[in-house]
Amino acid sequence: MKTRLNKKIIHLIQDLWMVFTEELKRVFRDPGVVLIFFVAGLGYPLVYNFIYWNDTLTDVPVAVVDLSCSPESRRFLHLWEATPDIAITHVCTSMAEAEDLMRRQKVHGILFIPEDFDDNLATISGQSHVSLYADMSSFLYMKATYMSANMVMLDEMHRVQIDRYQRMGMGPETAWALVQGAPYEEVGLFCPSGGYSSFLVPAMLIMILHQTLFFGIGMLAGTAREENETLYFLPGSRRRSVFRLIFGRAVAYLVLYLAIAAIDVLLIPKLFHLPHVGNPWDIMRLMVPFLLAAIFFSMTVSLFVRNRETGMVTLVATTLIIFFISGVSWPQASLPEAWKWTSYLIPATWGIHGFLHINTMGCTLLEAAKEYYALWILAGGYFVTASIGLWISGLIHERKKKQEAITE
Amino acid sequence: MSYLGAVIKRELKQMFARPLYIFSSVVIMLISMFFFLTVMKSGSPQNMPIAIVDLDHSSMSRRLVHEINATQSVKVVAVTATYEDARKLMQKGEVYGFLVVPEDFYARIGSQRRPTMHFYVNYAYTVGASTSYKQMLTMVNLASGAAHREVLRLKGLPDRQVMNIIQPIVLEGHLIGNPYANYPVYLLTTILPGILGIIITMLTIFSIGFELKMSTSLKWMHTAGDNYVIAIIGKMIPYTVLFVALGVSCNIILYEFMHFPVAGSHWMLALNMLFYVLSTQCLAFTFIGLLPTLRDAISVGALYSMMSFSLSGFTYPKMGMLPFVQALTNIFPLRHYYVNYVFEALMDAPLECMLPQFGIFMIFMLLPLTIHKRLKGAMINLNFPKK
Repeated sequence: MKTRLNKKIIHLIQDLWMVFTEELKRVFRDPGVVLIFFVAGLGYPLVYNFIYWNDTLTDVPVAVVDLSCSPESRRFLHLWEATPDIAITHVCTSMAEAEDLMRRQKVHGILFIPEDFDDNLATISGQSHVSLYADMSSFLYMKATYMSANMVMLDEMHRVQIDRYQRMGMGPETAWALVQGAPYEEVGLFCPSGGYSSFLVPAMLIMILHQTLFFGIGMLAGTAREENETLYFLPGSRRRSVFRLIFGRAVAYLVLYLAIAAIDVLLIPKLFHLPHVGNPWDIMRLMVPFLLAAIFFSMTVSLFVRNRETGMVTLVATTLIIFFISGVSWPQASLPEAWKWTSYLIPATWGIHGFLHINTMGCTLLEAAKEYYALWILAGGYFVTASIGLWISGLIHERKKKQEAITE
Repeated sequence: MSYLGAVIKRELKQMFARPLYIFSSVVIMLISMFFFLTVMKSGSPQNMPIAIVDLDHSSMSRRLVHEINATQSVKVVAVTATYEDARKLMQKGEVYGFLVVPEDFYARIGSQRRPTMHFYVNYAYTVGASTSYKQMLTMVNLASGAAHREVLRLKGLPDRQVMNIIQPIVLEGHLIGNPYANYPVYLLTTILPGILGIIITMLTIFSIGFELKMSTSLKWMHTAGDNYVIAIIGKMIPYTVLFVALGVSCNIILYEFMHFPVAGSHWMLALNMLFYVLSTQCLAFTFIGLLPTLRDAISVGALYSMMSFSLSGFTYPKMGMLPFVQALTNIFPLRHYYVNYVFEALMDAPLECMLPQFGIFMIFMLLPLTIHKRLKGAMINLNFPKK
């Protein structure tokens, strides 16, 4: 009795080992998969870091139209020019001239100071209007021009106010207290630079792992189906064992991807000065369920892939949807309910948020427990769907074979 | 001419023989449009969750919470007693920011020693963070303005004068091309054509590569009367029609039905789309010509088109990129499409601004000439690996 059980276990381990090594061989023998797993999996993080190398936008070219030509207006422009965000590249004499420059995209903002700017400031209760025309072709242009102009405006406003109150007979301290009615300060926690790459690239790293796994596995499954039906059978035999096949293959992908993930999510953030305040051990512990969920998810979807290339042809375009629905570039809190629930079914969603919480915001794994357990649940769920799917498509395949044999 | 007709007919048959062609073009495009138009239907982020740390405990600080909740863009989901509680909420991603109202804040407004209010925002979620920051800033400025106004009124100044004294300088913002800072206008006008670009790249490579893989290219050549040019043109025509139809429908939905702003001419936008579709098709054609093995060309095509979004510079502008990356943006038709879109739809720029991009589109269209020998050889001799 005992020996029979032992034999069974030995068989199981032998089979798993065989599936595992066979799958690794298939990965390395296939240049297409090597391209996706290793070249894309390790190359994309570099590419995106180079694209977003500068993190923030500086010296956005702007034009100014100063009809006031007074010390006050020159002071305003001088202060604006001193901000890192913009660079005054054109000084125009009329709005028409400046508008033409914007139309031709030589400048991405125009500041217009009217003739009566200084006169209004000189009186005790006058009001001056300054106009900023912001190019909306990218919101980052608008952010650069508008925020910096607004800051200068506020500083100048306080200066004028204090001056006025003193002229009204207040002491400088009373005036200052009144002007600073509710003093405030902004603190960027977790991601202090507020820059573009430190916000976007960490999320993209997880997306890259998810999508390269997805298309690599799709390609492997499609190939296995094209060549000798190896998708359904244990290597070198006609035996079918859903558990051994799924589990053995998943472990093969997991081992490869733990190595790739270690480079992408631990090394790359350090190398490129992205936020990386998390505990590396916690990050890798999050990666285990994330990668497993992504692997079983990809295995489930890949059952619908008939040829080697069809998965990519049809689904590459959905990458944008998967990224968008994860709630990074468009806030999760603003996703319509139906899309929010859909996003919960995709491993990348939880992977991205779990990673951001640990890596960028310094959570412990315990504090990211929601994402961690959600990933285990998805991994379990997709393991079941991948197994059932493989079992059913194996049956269909066998029936087809039998029918072919009969007709022959 | 009859050969051309025969090739077109043969291609149409193939397109409808398998669901793959229609699924990966029409269906994927429809799904993408449906997704992106519904996911951002509010136009700008709304109800961003924030927290307030109320150390003041006055009726004024409670009123601030109500006033903030009355706005559309943010929502106070928690009022906590300590800074640490709010920080934890933000760390877990449950709020994008929080505002600390210090002790005795309102009681000491107008006195000379007031503690400072602090906004803490989580820039790991930039859009949520900056939306909530902007709203909190507005609310605090309103509150302080009100207190400020009270003091001046007590001095007996008339209301109109008070307003001007409080705000001696007004910065009027004019948002050119997208007056309401609408996110769909900003993003979808380039994302959707970009998705179409992926579809074009993948299907063009697939339609030719599949013939090579299945060794049917000789039959294909035969149908074309062994004329390479007729074979290629006949095969591409049905796709060109399909892609142009998809592109123009995309334009119609965005600019006619959704009323996304168009400062210039709709016809120019359609022309821009036509050039974009043709040059993407020619570029993909060049890929399969360079690598006449389906699986290699498909992978390269996919990896390449995924980068077009970042490198088109529609979110992070080209001017902020490293010089060699700036040069790299030129090899993506989406980049030139976006530049022309900005000129025509947002800026109503003179035609000469768009000519360079149209010129580059034409260079893309000439690329197939460079690989014609190689592809023709592959089609006739089938001398490239298939698996």
